[in-house]
Amino acid sequence: MEKMKILLVDDEPRYLETTKKLIERRGYDTFTAESGEAALRIMDTHSVQVVILDVKMPGMDGNETLRVIKERWPLAEVIMLTGHATVDSAIDGLKSGAWDYLMKPADIDQIIEKAEQAFDKRVRQEEKIRSAQARLYMKSPRQILKDGEA
Amino acid sequence: MDNHSNRLKQSRQRLKRGILINMIFLPMIPFIIVTGLSFYFFSSTLEDATRARLERILTDHRRMIESFLMNRKADLELVARIYAFDDMDSDRAVTAVYRELEERSPAFVDLGLFDHRGNHLRYAGAWALAGKSYAGEEWFQKTMSGGYYISDVFLGYRNVPHFVVAVRRIDKGRTWVLRATIDTLFFDTLVSGVRMGTTGEAYILNYEGLAQTARRSGNLAVLDPDPAFDWFENKIKFGNKATWFSPEDQPFLYAVTGLSDKSWYLVVRQEKQDAYGALYSAAVICLIVTVCGLAALVVTAVFISERIVRRIELLDTEKEALGSQLIRAVQLAEIGEMAAGFAHEINNPLQIIKSEYALLKILVGEAETADGGPDRSPAGSTSFSEINEGLDQIHTQVERCNKITSAVLKFGRKNDTRQTALDPKSLIPEILGLVENTARSGGIDLTTRIDEDTPMFMGDHSRFQQVMLNLINNALDAVAKHHGARGGRVEILAGQIREKNRALVEIRVQDNGCGIRPDHMNKIFTPFFTTKAVGRGTGLGLSVCFGIIESFGGTMDVDSRPGQGTVFAVRLPAK
Repeated sequence: MEKMKILLVDDEPRYLETTKKLIERRGYDTFTAESGEAALRIMDTHSVQVVILDVKMPGMDGNETLRVIKERWPLAEVIMLTGHATVDSAIDGLKSGAWDYLMKPADIDQIIEKAEQAFDKRVRQEEKIRSAQARLYMKSPRQILKDGEA
Repeated sequence: MDNHSNRLKQSRQRLKRGILINMIFLPMIPFIIVTGLSFYFFSSTLEDATRARLERILTDHRRMIESFLMNRKADLELVARIYAFDDMDSDRAVTAVYRELEERSPAFVDLGLFDHRGNHLRYAGAWALAGKSYAGEEWFQKTMSGGYYISDVFLGYRNVPHFVVAVRRIDKGRTWVLRATIDTLFFDTLVSGVRMGTTGEAYILNYEGLAQTARRSGNLAVLDPDPAFDWFENKIKFGNKATWFSPEDQPFLYAVTGLSDKSWYLVVRQEKQDAYGALYSAAVICLIVTVCGLAALVVTAVFISERIVRRIELLDTEKEALGSQLIRAVQLAEIGEMAAGFAHEINNPLQIIKSEYALLKILVGEAETADGGPDRSPAGSTSFSEINEGLDQIHTQVERCNKITSAVLKFGRKNDTRQTALDPKSLIPEILGLVENTARSGGIDLTTRIDEDTPMFMGDHSRFQQVMLNLINNALDAVAKHHGARGGRVEILAGQIREKNRALVEIRVQDNGCGIRPDHMNKIFTPFFTTKAVGRGTGLGLSVCFGIIESFGGTMDVDSRPGQGTVFAVRLPAK
């Protein structure tokens, strides 16, 4: 099975650093980004499955970043990290396709639990996609050749 | 503050004075003008009427007296013309003529015949005057020169006041004079027949001011000088026109006229008090009405201005109360907003601390294991356990901060809750279910009494629950503090009350706990005010409850007696 790759997006460097260490100790690949833009760059180069995204950030905020991610990488699962005052924006996030949200300050265990659930979903989804594709290929083997040419 | 209330008091006093002055003086001006004008017109009309009456009486009597005198003169002239001197020159003839004259007018007292030298030839009458010489008498000389003469009243030989009418006759070279005496008593009655009111009277003065007739009032006899004569003599304009005036220093009104053909004044006088009796009583009535009216005006003005000022004071107090309520509401909202922003920002560092704690905990755990566990090195294990203790403390304190920020954020949350109809009859028992265990284990007697007619009200379910839980928990704490494990009593009452024709739901949470200190009473709804030990309460409970109840359109009151208990009363408009 594929190893879960987590991307942490927050404007607090120290938080990123510590949390990265904690998550890596659990055996997951962890990337960090200090802004929405940086997160998108990492998403470009690495296939990240779960993004933990702070809502309130300078520049591109969490909701905006979420929309771009969902647009470009529909399969990536996003967990919003929010303060109470921005519960509304968390709801907005859920509406635009976030997997779940977490209230700050969140326990690392909570974060990982949610991330795993998201990853499971992602895996199941990929599984479905793969089986669907397999069925498609079995129906028409030529398609593979065609795809190869393309 | 004192300065402010002083200033307020002063301005209120000024306002009151202003209202009072306006209310007294503005109506007073037309009131006085109307009263004054009507009195002026009334008095001038009365004066005119009195003057006209006096003038009329004067004119009438002047005519009467003039005609009386003219008639007597004409009587004599007639006699003188009818009879020749010889016809008259016998006692019998004179007596016969006298009888004739007496018949014509009872005013004749006697009749005398005189020759041109003034010798009294014949006489008919009560006095024995024949044979006397009148050559030097004024009346005789005047008669001889003027043809006729009417004398002033004089005493003469008979020493009785009388006056005479005499005519001269020139007949066949003989000059003779016929003289008749007029009874002054009769003449008096003629003049004194004038009556006006109780003191009105008429009398005659000659040009020297001697009375020719007595005054009816009796204080001026015939031939007495009139003391008022000097006063009005130089003021009289002669002619037939009546002159009317009233000396200011005299208590009388006078009307005086000269008689034609005779150097007499006819005087009509009346006491002012009598003539102006109606005016004086009108003046008294006017005065009474004015005084009463002004008194009523002043009393009304004082009363009304007092009421107005009291009303204004009441409004001011209400305004102040409303203002302070508004300020409190705004303060609450501002504090709420500020605190929410604050809490939100604090959450980020808390998040980092939490992460650091988690990492440190793992690292310490690893280091401990690498060190060989607690058995290997007692000193090491002590320091590790101390580090762990410290880490746990960090965790506890972060959790505590988290609790505070959560409460603050809840408090600052906007009122976007859904309001639905809530029924206290089902809601309160449901809430009570949450605290029953706590109460039972604390030995506290928790009872409810909900009236059957308790109406529904509009509100958010969970927020109302928050309010009730807060109030009940406070009550339980207060009771536990005061009574320990026995004797504590918390009662929740609900029912309907009416206030200003509005139905309200009243929910009371009352306890017999420690009560609230009086100096804390006005702080309990202030955010962050708490009497609980550090770490036990955030001080947000009651201020949040207050805000929630206000957002439901209700009010929250507290009544507390230290050592006896507290009652929190929540009133909400019935649905």
